[in-house]
Amino acid sequence: MGGWAAPTRLQFAPSETPQTIEMYDFIQKRKRLIQLMLALVVVPFAFFGLESYTRGTGGADEVAKVDGMPISEREFGEEWKQQQERMRGMFGRNFDPSFLDTPESRRALLDGLIARRLVAAAIAKANIVISDDSLREAIASIPAFQVGGKFSHENYETLLRAQGMTIATFESQMRHDLAVSMLGRALATTAIVPRSVAERLAVLEGQKYEVSEALVPAQQFMGEVALDEAKLKAYYDGNAVQFRTSERIKAEYLVLSGEEIAKQVQPTEADLRAVYEQRGAQMKVDEQRRASHILIQASPTAPEADRKAARAKLEDVAAQLKKSPAAFADLARKVSQDTGSAIKGGDLGFFGRGMMAKPFEDAAFSLKDGETSAIVETEFGYHLIRVTGIRAASARKFEDVRAELLAELRQKQAAQKFAEAAETFSNMVYEQTSGLGPVAEKFGLKVQATDWIGSDPASVPKLLANPKLIGALFSPDSIKAKRNTDAVEVAPSTLVAARVTEHQSAKTRPYEEVRADIEKKLRLAGALKLAAAKGGALLEQTRKGGAGELAWSAPRQVTRGAPQGLDTEALKKVVATPSDRLPAYFGLEKGNDGYAVYRVSRVTPPEPKPAEQANADLQRVAGLYGSTQYEAFVASLRSKADVKINEKVLQKRETR
Amino acid sequence: MALDLEEQEQLASLKGWWKDYGGIVVFLLLGVALALAGWRGWQWYQGSQAAHASAVYDTLGKAIQAGDAKAVRDASGSLIESYPRTVYAAMGALSAARFLHDAGDLKNAKTQLEWLASGTRYPEFRDTARLRLAAMLLDEKAYDAALKTLEAGRTEGYESQFSALRGDVLLASGKPAEAKSAYQAALDTAKKSNTVGTPFHETVRLRLEALGG
Repeated sequence: MGGWAAPTRLQFAPSETPQTIEMYDFIQKRKRLIQLMLALVVVPFAFFGLESYTRGTGGADEVAKVDGMPISEREFGEEWKQQQERMRGMFGRNFDPSFLDTPESRRALLDGLIARRLVAAAIAKANIVISDDSLREAIASIPAFQVGGKFSHENYETLLRAQGMTIATFESQMRHDLAVSMLGRALATTAIVPRSVAERLAVLEGQKYEVSEALVPAQQFMGEVALDEAKLKAYYDGNAVQFRTSERIKAEYLVLSGEEIAKQVQPTEADLRAVYEQRGAQMKVDEQRRASHILIQASPTAPEADRKAARAKLEDVAAQLKKSPAAFADLARKVSQDTGSAIKGGDLGFFGRGMMAKPFEDAAFSLKDGETSAIVETEFGYHLIRVTGIRAASARKFEDVRAELLAELRQKQAAQKFAEAAETFSNMVYEQTSGLGPVAEKFGLKVQATDWIGSDPASVPKLLANPKLIGALFSPDSIKAKRNTDAVEVAPSTLVAARVTEHQSAKTRPYEEVRADIEKKLRLAGALKLAAAKGGALLEQTRKGGAGELAWSAPRQVTRGAPQGLDTEALKKVVATPSDRLPAYFGLEKGNDGYAVYRVSRVTPPEPKPAEQANADLQRVAGLYGSTQYEAFVASLRSKADVKINEKVLQKRETR
Repeated sequence: MALDLEEQEQLASLKGWWKDYGGIVVFLLLGVALALAGWRGWQWYQGSQAAHASAVYDTLGKAIQAGDAKAVRDASGSLIESYPRTVYAAMGALSAARFLHDAGDLKNAKTQLEWLASGTRYPEFRDTARLRLAAMLLDEKAYDAALKTLEAGRTEGYESQFSALRGDVLLASGKPAEAKSAYQAALDTAKKSNTVGTPFHETVRLRLEALGG
């Protein structure tokens, strides 16, 4: 330790302050403690590296922690997205997976992620490794990497690069996937199922039961039910909650409808004329001309020599035209450098002023029909222009546009009138304290009335089912002071004002009002009881071999998969019938209909299946057992692992 | 120089401490180093065992594909003999048992499962083997042996399947009432672990309802 203790080194130290001395003292006294602490810090580094310090401190955004390893919100979100993609793949682009976003589905997704973690850890712990040979074989057998049925290394590299993946990443991922599937296959595809069980399942699934049914109808006993006033009253007193009604009102209302007002509006002929005159300019259609041209391109910035050459070329064309004026279209096709029009023999169609380059326009609008211009120069180059049609300027006649103007004017006047009316209407209903009558009179409207309505919009006529209006109707102003509500716009240009005419607070309906209902109810209950008693007795009789008064339905052939209308409860009883004691009977209450007695008269085992089919059944059951055993494997891993789920983060809506 | 003196003192005390405890420290460090080396060595050993076992397991897979019963028996035997502590031996025993069972060699199929049911350190594989062994015993009408196999302790996740198979054995041995409660137990466990309604448990419900449950 000599060098370590060399005093010279210490002499170079800056002068120590009292604090540092104190610290030496401190260290001296607690040497062993500090050494222990140092050891505690160093040892984890030696074994696990820095990771163990950084891991597991995130906390807030972890969805779960599996044996200390967090599953982040991001990872969960990625998984969520992938699942959505899979769903869209299955159900089509327009499928909206968000409606499957339930707490349970999130939980299931997380369970899958956790299972994957657990299996990965189990694989690492059990040292399941994939040999290089197996890896090579597996990769070579992926069709995407093959060219002409043979693995192509070039293809392999290109495809991975396209996916933004290095070969090393892909191969380690592949190794892992292969290990998972190796483990999965070893557990899930090797199940051995008792042959006897598989056969029994096939029988249970395919067995046919011949079932008849006889109803003892409750209807038959309605008259025999003994009821008196005291019983009815006792029921009323004992079940007050059933007879509570919520607050309700009757109201009268007025509807001011823009549509109705539009019908009243009738623009006069004079109005229409006035608008027509006013719009004189708009009613005009400007002169239009149709022309063809031949263009030789020459940019204004091109060298003078080029421009001269272009012009010379067109002069040549002009000379040819002079000789045979009819050849314009042919020449345009041959030499015009405006390719769009050239193929149409130079035709540009009709155009008005302001649509073409100025010199072109001037030329086109100064020629007569059929005339050809001299050479015209524009920014595109040199043109020869021939006018091929003229539509003179015109004005649309009043008769032609009258209908158009009428609709327009009516709408405008109606909107104006509605706006005026709406304002008056709103003010009047607000100012009037004595009901809606005067307002109705003023606007020529009819006061309409509702039946009893509650505050639930479903009970309200559609026109009035507006939350603002209903809120206003059930406010103290309406109910206590019987004031008109404000005018409320319940639909575009539709105003409604209403007023409460009658009001009932929440209350228990009086006995007299509900007596009939109670009687009906108790009578049915009593009749059902009597029917059940009678049915039970008949069932016993029949079991003992009595012929009985039961009216049996025609027998039905029932299987588990095809219950032929038998309800679940009855089916459950039917399939439990032992086939060695037939016919078998049982009875069930059947809703409000009465009591049903059932007879199972025959149980037919399914046709014996050919050996091949039976073997396929066995394989199917073995597959089922195998996957269940793999699930048990995962469940066992999970029961041993320390899994913490952060419900808050898991059910957070944004976690997608 | 007062400080130097102070420091000299510190050093002296450190030296004294080293004299007293140095031996222990060196000893402890050595121990840690040895343990580390041993741990790494053990890991290396396990890795190399796994690599060898993996190769034999590949051979077994190929023998199964080829339908060569003798080669299957040899490969699985070699896994059990030479690498019994690896997961490969366990996986191999399951694969070989199914192959031999399907090929009609029930005796050797059972031998594989019997070894796995008691000789592996992976409890999940052990319980899987027990389920399959009991299934074979049921088909041989060896009901007591089947029940005994199913009685042995099991890990969480497997209870429901054990109960269902117990129900099958009890029903076959003419005890429908006991079978019924075994099936019911299977469904109850499934309910607890939230796996009720899976296809497997639907078949259990089928069996239970046929007994009037």
